[in-house]
Amino acid sequence: MRELVNWLRRGKLESSLDRELRYHLERRIHDFEQTGLPADEARRQALLELGGVAQIQEEVRDIWLTRWLRDFVYDLRFTVRSFRKTPSFTVTAVLSLMLGIGATTAIYSLVDQVLLHALPVRQPERLVLVDWKGDMVASGFGSWNLLSYPICRDLDQQKQIFEGVFCRALTMVNLSTGSDSRAATAEIISGNYFPVLGAGPALGQVLTNDDDRRPDANPVAVISYDFWKTQLAGAADVVGRKVLVNRHPLTVIGVAASTFRGIDVGEVPSLWIPASMATAIIPGFKDLHDRRTRWMQVLGRLNPGVTLREAEAGLQPWFKAMLQQDMSRPGFPVITAERRQRFLRSSLVLMAAPQGHSALRRRMMEPLWVLFAVTAVLLGLACLNVSGLFLARGSARDREIGTRLALGASRGRLGRQLLTESLLIGLAGGLLGTAAAPLAVRTLIALLPPSGTSAVGASASETALHANVDLRLLLFAFAASMAAGILSGLAPAWQAGRRSLVSSLRERGGTGFGSVRLRRLIVTVQIALTLILVVSAALFVRTLDALMAKGPGFPTASLVSFGIDCQRSGYSEEEGNRLIRRIDETIRQSPIVQESSVARFALLTGGSWNNPMTILADKRFSTDGDVNLNSVTPGFFPTMGIKVIAGRNFDDHDIGAPGVRGWRSAIVNQAFVKRYLGGRNPLGVRICQGSGPDARPNTEIVGVVSNFSYRGIREESEQAFFPFQGEAAATFYVRVHGTGQSSFRTLRTIVRGVDPALPMTNFRTLEEQVDRSLNTEHMLARLSGGFGVLALLLSLVGLYGVMSFVVTQRTREIGIRLALGARRWSAIWLVLRDALAMVLCGIGIGLPVVWALGRLVESQLYDVKPFDPIVIAIAMLALCSAGLGAAFVPARRASGVNPTDALRVE
Amino acid sequence: MSSSRFPIPQGTLDMLILQILSLEPAHGYGIAQRLDQVSRAVVRVNQGSLYPALHRLEQKGWLRAEWKQSETGRDAKFYSLTASGRKQLAAEKDSWARLAGAVQLIFNEGTR
Repeated sequence: MRELVNWLRRGKLESSLDRELRYHLERRIHDFEQTGLPADEARRQALLELGGVAQIQEEVRDIWLTRWLRDFVYDLRFTVRSFRKTPSFTVTAVLSLMLGIGATTAIYSLVDQVLLHALPVRQPERLVLVDWKGDMVASGFGSWNLLSYPICRDLDQQKQIFEGVFCRALTMVNLSTGSDSRAATAEIISGNYFPVLGAGPALGQVLTNDDDRRPDANPVAVISYDFWKTQLAGAADVVGRKVLVNRHPLTVIGVAASTFRGIDVGEVPSLWIPASMATAIIPGFKDLHDRRTRWMQVLGRLNPGVTLREAEAGLQPWFKAMLQQDMSRPGFPVITAERRQRFLRSSLVLMAAPQGHSALRRRMMEPLWVLFAVTAVLLGLACLNVSGLFLARGSARDREIGTRLALGASRGRLGRQLLTESLLIGLAGGLLGTAAAPLAVRTLIALLPPSGTSAVGASASETALHANVDLRLLLFAFAASMAAGILSGLAPAWQAGRRSLVSSLRERGGTGFGSVRLRRLIVTVQIALTLILVVSAALFVRTLDALMAKGPGFPTASLVSFGIDCQRSGYSEEEGNRLIRRIDETIRQSPIVQESSVARFALLTGGSWNNPMTILADKRFSTDGDVNLNSVTPGFFPTMGIKVIAGRNFDDHDIGAPGVRGWRSAIVNQAFVKRYLGGRNPLGVRICQGSGPDARPNTEIVGVVSNFSYRGIREESEQAFFPFQGEAAATFYVRVHGTGQSSFRTLRTIVRGVDPALPMTNFRTLEEQVDRSLNTEHMLARLSGGFGVLALLLSLVGLYGVMSFVVTQRTREIGIRLALGARRWSAIWLVLRDALAMVLCGIGIGLPVVWALGRLVESQLYDVKPFDPIVIAIAMLALCSAGLGAAFVPARRASGVNPTDALRVE
Repeated sequence: MSSSRFPIPQGTLDMLILQILSLEPAHGYGIAQRLDQVSRAVVRVNQGSLYPALHRLEQKGWLRAEWKQSETGRDAKFYSLTASGRKQLAAEKDSWARLAGAVQLIFNEGTR
């Protein structure tokens, strides 16, 4: 501490010391003069006695600043000076590390935000997610970890374990704050959501338990800070205003704190609505108090000192009693004895949830870690590159270092000097990398897969992701820079430490054989790392290719889709259904339209309507998994270009009049037939939803269609279709003349003509929809491809550098060979062989690593094994040919050596 | 400067400086003079090591320094002992006495 103060006032200290010593000398000279010495002799004696003013000054400075600090300052100055003298070296080294650190920091930003960052609430480490393990004997809707509203209320009573338990469900609503209405994300929450989380208001107040007591009694909402700022221009009088949510008026009672964006990083709600209003807000929803409807995530805050395991164990007695009680409740479905056993064997599990609950996190967990690993490897590669550059520069500085050693510099001191150099390069690279990171993060966020609240339709709704450089990111970048600096400097420092003083002074001018072996080793490791990155890039590109080639199973050209939900706009179910039929009719009559159709649920959004089914063929049995379901109009299969392979398509008779319900016919896909009706004629077989004894299979299969993608391109699922009858929400599929985009205006005009206030959601071409559903794959392929190319470039630069150096070193040997009659190509081969040996060695090291890492990425791949021989062969070929290419330039130089010149060099 | 004077033992310079300053504040030149006087016949103090020693002691907080007018009328840097410097001197004197006693004991052992 004192040293730092001294450092700051070193000018004053210096002048003070100066005066002090001068005083001493003058008195001393005076003394000597008194004894009769002439003036100059007196001065000489005084100086001699003191033993050198400069030396004293040095010694005192050491005391002021301590040795290491002073050395460090000197090293720093020396380093900056020497960097300035070799700008091309400096720029190359800094750029290498900037690439590595920038890429790693950018990916880490997402890793941190999506996977690691705790919610900005009170003591997030005490938050847990509650989930049901076993058969809940329930139906539901939503994403994952779903429970019912009543069970959340029960859990909230377990005060010996929880400080409080709340539940929430995301839903899409039509939100109107004035004239127009738009689709928005809302979070339906239990009243204790804000209090238990410990999130407060920025304005007004937040929801409390009082807002969630009696059904429909509290038409209130809290809006998000972002919504308030962007959609309401931050109006000061917002509290007390009314907003229309699905045509239902709610009073805004407050704005949530600016830092609080809900508990799902991938989905930021525009407003929060108490669960007591769910029945009014969500069209057709009547099951708030039904224990067999799972639709909400339940999270709790543990009491201080209660561990996860203790809490889990503590809940079991109450939970087991509740299971028994549940079975005797009216409305509990009739189930088989075996299923009852499964129900009774259920348990509640708790998971730490300091980051809240996020579907995005679940989906992006693996891809993000894979990308982070890839960038870490890239950073390692960049460090090795800088190491190689340092060694190359080190051999040019051999004489300087040798001289310093001879003059008495300690090896440790020299090593420290070299480390200072690499740390400085690391920090400079880190600084530039961090400056470039926000741009990269913004690009990455744009590449991220869109999130979807439910099967109803993915929306490009807002996420909480940002490209800001916050303190955590800065710390990470700093740590990465320091690590990169140390890593880059390790080899050169080690090399300097081993240097033989005598040999380095004996050598004439900048050669230095010792470092070549180290540089070869570095290049070999670089090749190994590059192999890993090139193979992973090839795997992800092939995966994307395979998925693109597979396609959704229907032609996407000229096909557009959009969603409509009439009940959210205040229509009754029957009115809404009539409206949809009318829109379908009108669209079909438009001259730009080839065909139009309606499906209840959208394709390629990641979600689906699904249920187990009961099949009555020769015997009655239930499917062992969920079947993906949809209801469609007769126009659906022709519009999509999906072939009816057997039987017939739906007709108007199957659909019936509006308001008439009851499916008498169904169509299944080939996968369904193959899995459940293998070998049997599917036509005439009866099926129905559900797998319980109460299921009544009375819908007849009338047709079979070819397979096509429902949730996503990857899956091959069993599907069944029912006629689109009385639903009031739908996704339109329209095949137009010309391109999809050209039809947007016409279609929008048609829907506006029917009801100008009806929002159209997810309006896009099917090509775009396919791209969106392959978003993760696109991102992985693009990024890993880019990183692979970068890695290749970095290691080629390294290889080229080493080979050039080797050729310079062996000029004499090559000259002699040529003089003795060796051919030019044999000189070329001499160098190429050397390079090839390094590349092959690197591949030899890299292959086992690739093999070992393969299983980590397996789940991200499609139609290609992680150790695919073709991919490996291509990667090896690429490395070898690129390596030979890089070595060819110095090799040609070797073959051009003039024997006489070469011999004269000595 | 006779050759019979031996160089001052390692580490004792600090102690001597503290002892001299315990009598009265002095500047560097004065301390050098005093050292020369008290140890005239016995030890040789290298004047070159005096100033680093003074700054080291000041850094440790045992001395405090201020610029004052000296006996010649010019400003000189005067050093004086701090409280912790006084404590340090006592400790060093004590340990020196014990060391000397111990060494004497060993010598006595040899002659008995």
